[in-house]
Amino acid sequence: MKLRGGYNLKIEGRPGGFLDKASLPETLYLPLASRSFNFSQICTVHGRHVVVGDILARDPDNYDIPLLSPCSGQVDLESTTGHVVLHELSGDESGVQIKYDDAKHAHKMGSADFERHKLLNLGAWEYVKDAYTGQTPDPLSTPQAVIVSTIQLEPFLVRGDVLLEASLQQFTRGLEHLQSLLEYQPIYLVLPKIKTDISAKIKEHIRGYAWVKTIDVPLKYPYDNAAILSRHIGLKRGDGFIWSLNADGVVAVDTALTSSKPCVERVISVAGPGAKHPLHLRLTAGYPVAEIRKRYAQKHAVAVDGGILTGQLLTDDIKGISVDCKGITFVPERQSREFLAFVRPGFDRQSYAPCFMSSLRGLFAERLTNSVRGEVRPCVSCNFCEEVCPAGITPHRLHKLIYQDDIDEIERSRIDLCIECGLCSFVCPSKIELMHEFQEAKGAIAKEKAAAAKREADAAQQTDSE
Amino acid sequence: MKILLQLFEKVRPVFEDKGVLSPMKPLYEAMENFFFAPASKTLYAPFSRDPLDIKRYMSMVIIALLPCVAASLYFFGLQIISMIVVSYAAGGLVEVAFAVIRKEKIAEGFLVTGLIFPLVLPPATPLWMVAVGCAFGVFVGKEIFGGTGRNLFNPAIVGRCFLALAYPAAMSASWIEPGSGLTGRLLQYVTGSNVEAITSATPLVEAKQGVFADTLHLAIGNISGSIGETSGLLIIIGGIFLLLTKVSNWRTVVGVLGSAVLFEAILHGVNPEQYAPALWHLFAGGLLFGAFFMATDPVSSPSTNQGKWTYGVLIGSVAILIRNFSGYVEGMMFAILLGNIAAPIIDEIVFSVRLRMLRNE
Ligand code: SF4
Ligand code: SF4
Repeated sequence: MKLRGGYNLKIEGRPGGFLDKASLPETLYLPLASRSFNFSQICTVHGRHVVVGDILARDPDNYDIPLLSPCSGQVDLESTTGHVVLHELSGDESGVQIKYDDAKHAHKMGSADFERHKLLNLGAWEYVKDAYTGQTPDPLSTPQAVIVSTIQLEPFLVRGDVLLEASLQQFTRGLEHLQSLLEYQPIYLVLPKIKTDISAKIKEHIRGYAWVKTIDVPLKYPYDNAAILSRHIGLKRGDGFIWSLNADGVVAVDTALTSSKPCVERVISVAGPGAKHPLHLRLTAGYPVAEIRKRYAQKHAVAVDGGILTGQLLTDDIKGISVDCKGITFVPERQSREFLAFVRPGFDRQSYAPCFMSSLRGLFAERLTNSVRGEVRPCVSCNFCEEVCPAGITPHRLHKLIYQDDIDEIERSRIDLCIECGLCSFVCPSKIELMHEFQEAKGAIAKEKAAAAKREADAAQQTDSE
Repeated sequence: MKILLQLFEKVRPVFEDKGVLSPMKPLYEAMENFFFAPASKTLYAPFSRDPLDIKRYMSMVIIALLPCVAASLYFFGLQIISMIVVSYAAGGLVEVAFAVIRKEKIAEGFLVTGLIFPLVLPPATPLWMVAVGCAFGVFVGKEIFGGTGRNLFNPAIVGRCFLALAYPAAMSASWIEPGSGLTGRLLQYVTGSNVEAITSATPLVEAKQGVFADTLHLAIGNISGSIGETSGLLIIIGGIFLLLTKVSNWRTVVGVLGSAVLFEAILHGVNPEQYAPALWHLFAGGLLFGAFFMATDPVSSPSTNQGKWTYGVLIGSVAILIRNFSGYVEGMMFAILLGNIAAPIIDEIVFSVRLRMLRNE
């Protein structure tokens, strides 16, 4: 498939190239549920003293992915619902090596399996997702390919170049580790199509690696998406998992396998038009959201977990940064209602369709708020959503089918190919919540399928018992 | 502005569910949101949105039509203004009535219909006919399908068609000789009783008798014809503006004009005696206006790009067929109606081809 659609929004608030380290807070709040994990199986007890890398909880539905303790402290399971709270923290006494070479693991499995267990239990597997489903792949499986992305095109997430600048060595070593887990499968390395310092350096480093294939991708959102890239390369769904991970994931792999250390530090972006000074921040999971808000957010801004296009509203009952947080985006709340907004010339508006006078000036970044900026109207078939959709499906048609509640036809129209990039909702002049509708419809379809499968299983059981 | 906003806040309870005027809520909301950007905030990702809304989108069409409107005042007289006002009033009334009945919001589509409709009428059409035609067009062409966004036909075309079929005699007696000189007819108010101004001939009618108007006149617009359709150049200017803003899709326009010109060029090449040159047909009658402003109506045309090509070619060639091989002098109206009917089918075909191509993904 050729890369198609896509759109680069120009919004103020891109994080700078600066990487700051957050100091150790007084308390850590580790959320038990995050966007992709649900750590429902608690592995610690209230009041216990834990050290870096101790397993606090596991997610039984995701290959027992662990929730690791980011530093030493006292466990508190009672004060905050939905969180493991750590008090009396003390920083990681570096040099403390986690003894992972447990003989009991090693003799039971081959060395490759052993390494995979290590990845899982040291917290590096959290970074790996299946390209098509977005779920955690089976760590013991062999994938059909690995996709490693060094770019991050959604505003405003961690910039790959910032991350790599700080850890290029680990990155290339991590790639080698990944390769050692595979048989002959290729690793696709996603680089920007334009020449940058960092991409030149990476290319230099990997020159001898025959098993790395580079893909140069134009810098247009969301061409860095793993599902889009897999389709672009021609990897088939159903031929097995495709491991996809970003630069930070590769560095985590290196941390786990080279130094056998738990991967508890991560880099997130704190950015967006509502941030005081957008930046990158090195911290651990559980860092209090309130602290970040106090330090980095402007007044009257809503916090979003993730990028501005695909994130989730960070509600008040989430107290800390989750383990899979990629960034916090602050979006200012709309303050006043503009008088006769739609007839203004709009020199300061940045729009997909050049309907504002700003088309006469060059590109600039607009300071957006969380206003919907219009009223919801019926679809006028303007076709913008179809033009920007990178998946090659037809959002306005799906919208109409959802309106008619025609589940079969929705499925036949390939709603499963939607990567939930959010561009259609962003550009729609009728302000239709297209992506949200699709997410709900996908959920409904999944539920229906699960119910059908269960019915079938029940029926089979009945015939068996007869 | 503050005072106005406070006023809106103050009277809002009257229109809320238990208020005295609650059935009129759509009207209140439309007014409030007309003056002040709506208050809603994003609840789902993406958390910021593009500044373009439907109001702005529709206003672009109105801006693009302004040159034509200005020219028509000069060529045909001040009655045009009252026609536009009447058209807006009639169309708006139907729209508001239906919004109130359905308890839905008032959609902005009638802002465009209300202006386009008078522009495709003869310049001396009686005001009552303007009102009836516009109301009919909005009602039959749009509301009975479920309102803006669900309409099969372009409401302005439906209204125009209705008038042409219901009052053919009155319509063909409403053409006006264009004004000339410094002020043109800018200071006149022409009605059907101004005998000296009224003519029965338009370039397409004369062409049936073998008399071809000068193409230059057709391009400038000092020629008899529908209000907004006479000045080819101004239509092109407005139309290109619309294309640049992406409000209308260039594929439709190129499809219509390209196929019409090509078809006519072939006819002219085969028999130059009987068939006019392609350029002449391009500027005569409603071809340009229809291509730039009516066929491009996104709701009633196919939504896919491939569909728009097909649709454009269909309209262009049918228009030329009707003009040259039927008793009707102008084919654009019927061609677009036909295109409107075909649009959903064209879309279905494009979709099924697309899905077939996605089958292996
Ligand atoms: S962008 Fe919105 S209005 Fe335009 S076709 Fe898509 S759903 Fe319809
Ligand atoms: S339909 Fe899905 S993939 Fe396409 S633009 Fe919308 S969210 Fe993105």
